[in-house]
Amino acid sequence: MRGFEVRHYLIAAAAWALAAGPALAQAQPAPVQAPPSAQGQPQSGDDDQLVVDVTGGRRAALPIAVPYMPTPQPADTAAGNTGALGRQVAEIVAADLRNSELFTPIGPSGLPGVSFPQVTAPDYGAFASTGAQNLVQGFVQANANGSITVGCYVYDVASQAELTRQGYVVQPRDWRRAAHRCADTIFSRLTGEGGYFDTRVVYVSETGPARHRIKRLAIMDYDGANHRFLTNGQWTVLTPRFAPNQQTITFMTYENERPRVMVYELDSGRARPLVPGNYMTFAPRYSPDSRYIIFSMAMNGNTDIYRIPTGGGTPQRLTNSPGIDTGGSYSPDGSRIVFESDRGGTQQIYMMNADGSNQRRISFGGGGYATPVWSPRGDLIAFTKTGGFRIGVMAPDGSGERILTGGGGAEGPSWAPNGRAIMFTRGLSAGQLWYVDVASGATRRVPTPLDGSDPAWSPLRPN
Amino acid sequence: MDRTEATGLGVSLVGHVALLAALSLALVTAANHPVTPPAMEVSFVDEVGAVSASPAPSVQPAVQARAPELGPVEDAAPAPAPQAPAPAQRDLVAAPSPLPAPAPPSRVQPRPAPPATAGTGPTTRRPGLGDLDPRAFGRDPAAHAETPPAAVMSAQAAANIAQAITRQVQPCADRQVYPGPGAERIVTPIILRLNRDGSLAARPRIGTQRGLDDENRRYADRVADLAIATFTGCAPLRGLPQELYNVPRGWSNFTMNYRLPG
Repeated sequence: MRGFEVRHYLIAAAAWALAAGPALAQAQPAPVQAPPSAQGQPQSGDDDQLVVDVTGGRRAALPIAVPYMPTPQPADTAAGNTGALGRQVAEIVAADLRNSELFTPIGPSGLPGVSFPQVTAPDYGAFASTGAQNLVQGFVQANANGSITVGCYVYDVASQAELTRQGYVVQPRDWRRAAHRCADTIFSRLTGEGGYFDTRVVYVSETGPARHRIKRLAIMDYDGANHRFLTNGQWTVLTPRFAPNQQTITFMTYENERPRVMVYELDSGRARPLVPGNYMTFAPRYSPDSRYIIFSMAMNGNTDIYRIPTGGGTPQRLTNSPGIDTGGSYSPDGSRIVFESDRGGTQQIYMMNADGSNQRRISFGGGGYATPVWSPRGDLIAFTKTGGFRIGVMAPDGSGERILTGGGGAEGPSWAPNGRAIMFTRGLSAGQLWYVDVASGATRRVPTPLDGSDPAWSPLRPN
Repeated sequence: MDRTEATGLGVSLVGHVALLAALSLALVTAANHPVTPPAMEVSFVDEVGAVSASPAPSVQPAVQARAPELGPVEDAAPAPAPQAPAPAQRDLVAAPSPLPAPAPPSRVQPRPAPPATAGTGPTTRRPGLGDLDPRAFGRDPAAHAETPPAAVMSAQAAANIAQAITRQVQPCADRQVYPGPGAERIVTPIILRLNRDGSLAARPRIGTQRGLDDENRRYADRVADLAIATFTGCAPLRGLPQELYNVPRGWSNFTMNYRLPG
């Protein structure tokens, strides 16, 4: 208050001084910078309006109500009755939001029922009493052509206002995708981030004793649903990576006890070697435009990083230092590559231009660093800290190193498409898939039918 | 020493002792009566002050403080007794206000009364004095502006209203959830228009947000949501003074700057 009084007085004094002329202005006290207004203090706005400062908020999960979604007319579809689908869609939306660790879903069970007309005219009072700050409502409707429409509405309970709405027309078999896309819409609107629920994960599924471990390539939705194997376990597979266009997967296999990089076509199910011949190739990863794959190749006792067109061609060597250069990952704009190398005596992270020029070390902390992966946002590089096996992030210039996981045994980070979460392997002998929210550090296990390792998170699926 | 001298010495001694005793008694008496200011009771009021602390300033001239025509210079009769100091005078009239209405509350302190000379002899108006505006020397205590006092948003009243608004919306501000790194740097002004009953008269408008950068720009819309939810969640406002609703800088229209804690 005192600050306001002083400032208000000085404003009047200054105006008076200016009007009275320079001589008189010189006689006035020198202007004093008014201290910043404290919370709740009035200020003199530009238009001389009362201004009130309010500061408040908390770091917690957002309570959000997700009631069951009604159907205007119950109808049977290839995936079941639309009434049942409405309940299942709501449950998946709530599960997605809960998995993110940023929301505390309330419902669907235990919440008041929502009629079809209420979908666009919510009974805010009924949900305000639950403590929910936001509300998700929707419906599932069967269409004449055999498809279904999933409607998705997001409301602010306090403001009693609609924040966004989306509708998804899908085949009944894709009803889960519609639910994930609804959750992505909610997540994006309420966090400001892109979503990551309508995505898939390719990983190495493991089973059997340690000396005879069977490692198969598997693919599933991000939440573990729609799981299927891509290889039969005849050959051990490692380091699968999604192409950004989601048409192919590249991975390394020990076919005939020799490591080599393969390219797997998702539509046809066919696989082919990336580099013909018997060269030892490994650690592949796509360029952002899916046109190239960088990989490591051992020749004449030295391992360097190479680049080759995804469809095949002549490899171009990007590094040539003594030692092992591997684990390359492109920046989102494709202009730079981050990789790991032991050229300095220990395993560290290095940076270079996409053509191999300007190579420089960026990690200088204690212990070793491995498996660097550039964030889709471009602002961070995730890595495995080999001393203790923990997942961390750092800025592309090596600054701001931050360890996200505790307890050890973590490796192989893979970014969610929004750059907000990282999936990784936890447990070096019998691995499990986990992910961690980069901002909060909250972790959650990803369900898999068997042990799992080496996850690779896909981009958002095309519509 | 003869008898006379002895008597004189005795009288002198007795006199000194008596003087010393009298002085000592006076000192003791003075020490027993320290000057202690009377206790003052102070109370803090948590309610909004509905009445402005200052009377409404006026730009109208005071009632004519001198005779339409000046009389001849003559000796004044001896003043019977010193007059009490003139009541507080404000020179808003004398000082042209460069600010458009409304003028801010005057901060001019009452002028001290000129040194009292009454009773020391006749006062004579000096030649030419009547040509000057007597307002430059203070107005007649009987003169007053004829504009009635009006409700004005003083600084104190504005502070009280701001605190009252903050108290009411703070619980809703505290419920808002931090969306992500850097969001605490975003300051979101929302422009609010209220009815007299404290309810919203129109949907809040979002002003130009401050503190946006590459890291937190993605949260701008979300923080705007939180700002609106902070107010609407605790509206309508209650207990604000009706007198200060529709005055300049009143609470019928105001801006609330919302930000997340750092």
